[in-house]
Amino acid sequence: MTSRRQFFARIASGSAAIALGGGGGTSRAGAQQRGAMHDSSIVRDTTNLFAMDQSAARSITLPPKPNATPQLTPAQRDELEHRIRCQCGCTLDVFTCRTTDFSCQVSPAMHANVIGLVQGGYSAQEIIDAFVSSYGERVLMAPRKSGFNLLAWFTPGVAVVVGGVLIAAWLRRWRNEPPPPATVHAGASVDATQDELERLNAAVRGDDRE
Amino acid sequence: MYGTIAIATSRSRNRELIPWASGTISAILLFFIATTCIKANPFVRLDFMPVDGRGMNPQLQNPGMAFHPPNLYLGYVATAIPFAFAIAALFSRRLDAEWLGVVRRWTLLSWFFLTIGIILGMWWAYVELGWGGYWAWDPVENSSFLPWLTNTAFLHSIMIQEKRGMLRKWNVVLVVVSFLLAIFGTFITRSGVIESVHSFAQSPVGPWFATFFFLATGVTIYLVSTRLHDLEAKVELESMVSREAAFLYNNLVLVGIAFAVLWGTVFPILSEWATGNKITVGPPFFNTVNVPLGLLLLALTGIGPLIAWRRASVSNLKRQFASPALFGIVVAVALFALGMRASYSLVAYALCGFVTGTIVQEFYKGVRARQTIHEESLIPAFMHLVERNRRRYGGYIVHVGIVMLFAAFAGMAFRTENDVTLKAGETFDTRDPYGHQWRFVSQGVSTSNRPDRDVIAVGLEAFRDGKRLGIITSEKRQYLDSQHNTLFEPITEVGIRSTAKLDTYVVLAGVRGNDIAELRVTFNPLVMWVWTGGFVMMIGGLIVMWPQAERRPVQAGYAATIKASQAPAEIPVGV
Repeated sequence: MTSRRQFFARIASGSAAIALGGGGGTSRAGAQQRGAMHDSSIVRDTTNLFAMDQSAARSITLPPKPNATPQLTPAQRDELEHRIRCQCGCTLDVFTCRTTDFSCQVSPAMHANVIGLVQGGYSAQEIIDAFVSSYGERVLMAPRKSGFNLLAWFTPGVAVVVGGVLIAAWLRRWRNEPPPPATVHAGASVDATQDELERLNAAVRGDDRE
Repeated sequence: MYGTIAIATSRSRNRELIPWASGTISAILLFFIATTCIKANPFVRLDFMPVDGRGMNPQLQNPGMAFHPPNLYLGYVATAIPFAFAIAALFSRRLDAEWLGVVRRWTLLSWFFLTIGIILGMWWAYVELGWGGYWAWDPVENSSFLPWLTNTAFLHSIMIQEKRGMLRKWNVVLVVVSFLLAIFGTFITRSGVIESVHSFAQSPVGPWFATFFFLATGVTIYLVSTRLHDLEAKVELESMVSREAAFLYNNLVLVGIAFAVLWGTVFPILSEWATGNKITVGPPFFNTVNVPLGLLLLALTGIGPLIAWRRASVSNLKRQFASPALFGIVVAVALFALGMRASYSLVAYALCGFVTGTIVQEFYKGVRARQTIHEESLIPAFMHLVERNRRRYGGYIVHVGIVMLFAAFAGMAFRTENDVTLKAGETFDTRDPYGHQWRFVSQGVSTSNRPDRDVIAVGLEAFRDGKRLGIITSEKRQYLDSQHNTLFEPITEVGIRSTAKLDTYVVLAGVRGNDIAELRVTFNPLVMWVWTGGFVMMIGGLIVMWPQAERRPVQAGYAATIKASQAPAEIPVGV
């Protein structure tokens, strides 16, 4: 996967920044390297929109299963990669990152691991588990529905349901209370008889509802 | 600036509130000025002499970026004014119609700019970043969405306070929460406590904002808790089936979504703190949690305007709901017949149909009434209808925009992605979500060197059902400075062919060897309706906000009369 970067490095003449090779250095190391090559360059940091950690990929390989045949179609594999998070700092999933970001070396490495595991005959769940055991649960795009994480998944729903029940109870209480007597407040500057008020009331309600 | 305008424009009307409000605004200003002077001085000098400026990150060189940050900023900052008036009301224990007027106007302004800012941010992410969508539930996106949600909730619930004098406590809380969420958003962007693609804006002001946030929260909690009694509702609800009840549920859902988004955004911190377990809460989480809530909200958007204030009768309900509900069902059946099977999307489109039916019915009735009473023809009747009741009909126009957004979001459920590798002349065949047969023919890799950048480009000649549509080009660009050193990382220039039905979105991921292009070809249905919907919301917002200077005294009198008639018991009339 580095060849496309080397190609690009060649056309971007005079730059060593992109040919980092093998996922070794961080972007800062690349910048220092470039600084050494071009004395005039005082650019200290190849800032992307986010700080990219090119060395974040870990090798995840498992021995192929006996008589291994891939259990996932390419489409299923892509779907699986949508559930695994690229670790370069882009916050994207592996599929999206590797098909979008030219400069990321982490998602192609993770993609290669996925392909290796698929070739080795592992199921989607087994591949997910292998990634989690190496990177931890942060490698998943959404937390698993178990343990403490259940709190993440169910609190919003529970909160809304409880809120809905509270409002319903409230409304019921209000409705059961007798409506306040329809008398004009002593200090109110309403100069109208009760009959006029009622007619106005009807007119206003009618106006609102056609 | 806002502070000065707000105080200048409302000084005469709110004599008792102004000292407190201007004090609060001053305190907020003091904080921000102190931050820029002491902690993050923007004019600090570099410790070396650069040969040449670096210029702007090319991903930010996009017209959307000229407008997205200022609009969001205006939206954020505008939350400070209602907050100041809320604090003033709490201090002075005065919360009346004048207060409502000021706070509503400024909240509307905040809402308006946040809407524009968010939509432009979505557009920028879509055309510039190349990952193929417009919303990724990034923490910083979320933190712009949160005050928008609470502002929206407030703009609805305030109508209850205006018409019925209820929900005072709740409204004050919403105003305050909007401001606190804006500060919280700034804190997230600036502190980098949560991993985000916006963390380029990190600076050491995190602790300052955290302190300010907790201080402001503390003061507000104290004030609200000690003044609860002064804010007691003066009237009570009369029926479970009334527009007030619909608004209450609307508020519940909006605040529920805000809570779900906030919860998902901070949960990684919570999890790490509680269990030591680092986790990611990404788009799958937010989509799962928010889609049902969003659909509920959409349903309420249709239901609310159909239910009468105070108490709705059964015959009234039947008459109001018949045509919109029928229209929604027709839409769902038609889509099912056309082969749509995704249940969430079917529900979403049925509700879109229902809400559209509601809005059309409201406009139809209004126009018919005007035609009968004033003997106007169709177009003038329509114009006068909107002009005479801007808030109501402007609001409906905003709802039209919302329907378009929901329709577009539901369409994204059908997006398809293809990971393709093509040499010059090779073809790639696929089907789009509507079932059309597409063929893409690679025109090969070309390179070019511009003064400021090196470019690799790939053109795909696109055919749909055998008909040639043109060439879609995607580029990779490496920007260079005047010394021909690389600047920033290489970036993608996405090739997009946009129609009302479908966006064809081509991303050049990279080139292998000399001539093998690695591409992603994505079909994104209905994306154009996101931008259209955003534009319609903006128009609706403008209609609502447009000053009605001459008619205002008349309206004020009218509003007071409604209160006098509907709630004669307690409301102090004509305050």
